[in-house]
Amino acid sequence: MRRPETSVLVNEALRRNGDDPDALFVLAALRVQDGHPEEGLKILDHVLVIDPDYPGAWFFKEKIHRMRGEAWAADSARRQGEAVDG
Amino acid sequence: MTADVVKLKVCMAGEAMVGKTSLIRRYVLQEYDDRYTATLGTKITKKVLAAKDPKTGRDVSVSLILWDIMGTPTLRDLLKEAYYHGAQGVLGVADLTRKETLRELDAWYRSIQTVAGPIPTYVVVNKADLVDEAALDEATVKTFCEGRGWPWSSTSAKTGKGVEEAFVALVQGVLAAQG
Repeated sequence: MRRPETSVLVNEALRRNGDDPDALFVLAALRVQDGHPEEGLKILDHVLVIDPDYPGAWFFKEKIHRMRGEAWAADSARRQGEAVDG
Repeated sequence: MTADVVKLKVCMAGEAMVGKTSLIRRYVLQEYDDRYTATLGTKITKKVLAAKDPKTGRDVSVSLILWDIMGTPTLRDLLKEAYYHGAQGVLGVADLTRKETLRELDAWYRSIQTVAGPIPTYVVVNKADLVDEAALDEATVKTFCEGRGWPWSSTSAKTGKGVEEAFVALVQGVLAAQG
């Protein structure tokens, strides 16, 4: 037995529930990995609307903003992350 | 006198299907399910346990926050800050029946270390119940772990063997390392 492809798991989970925060978080990561950080960020922002305390999401948002050279937004996301995840 | 409360963030590490989620379920809920469900995203489980601070000998109440993450190496580095920020300990999990899962712990540790620094790491070789399918022997695991300064033990999330002891040992290691 092998672990199914991550993208397959994401699609299955989103078919069941389009607002599944776990699936959306991973989808955001897949979009960033595929070279589309702006799409990843948009999806991640949706995750944070569904669950503002989603573990690790603020630090991932910080990373994407840094990749895009958006220092102010990155710092802001980091502060939120510190508040949520400690 | 009430015990001091110590909050500890511990991250699970290891390849897919080694049993990270099952170990947490066994430790926290005393449950096991044979069906495999791949972890998607991040799952946090909390457990409070009593411990003794190895440095002071005082009783402490440990609020253990276990971060269970996807065992997907391709996303490991992209998500390392999300997962490992503030981590104080690592439970590295290898699968007794898959030799490469032990070797791969090096890559997981490297990724964690870049974010959290050189934090205490404890290794479990899980699936001890599948001894007939063993692909790792004790000498190999011992050499691997001792060379990296990682204490280790065998566990079976299925039977519960060694699970609680491993988490407690990791907590003790983390408490001992606290500044």
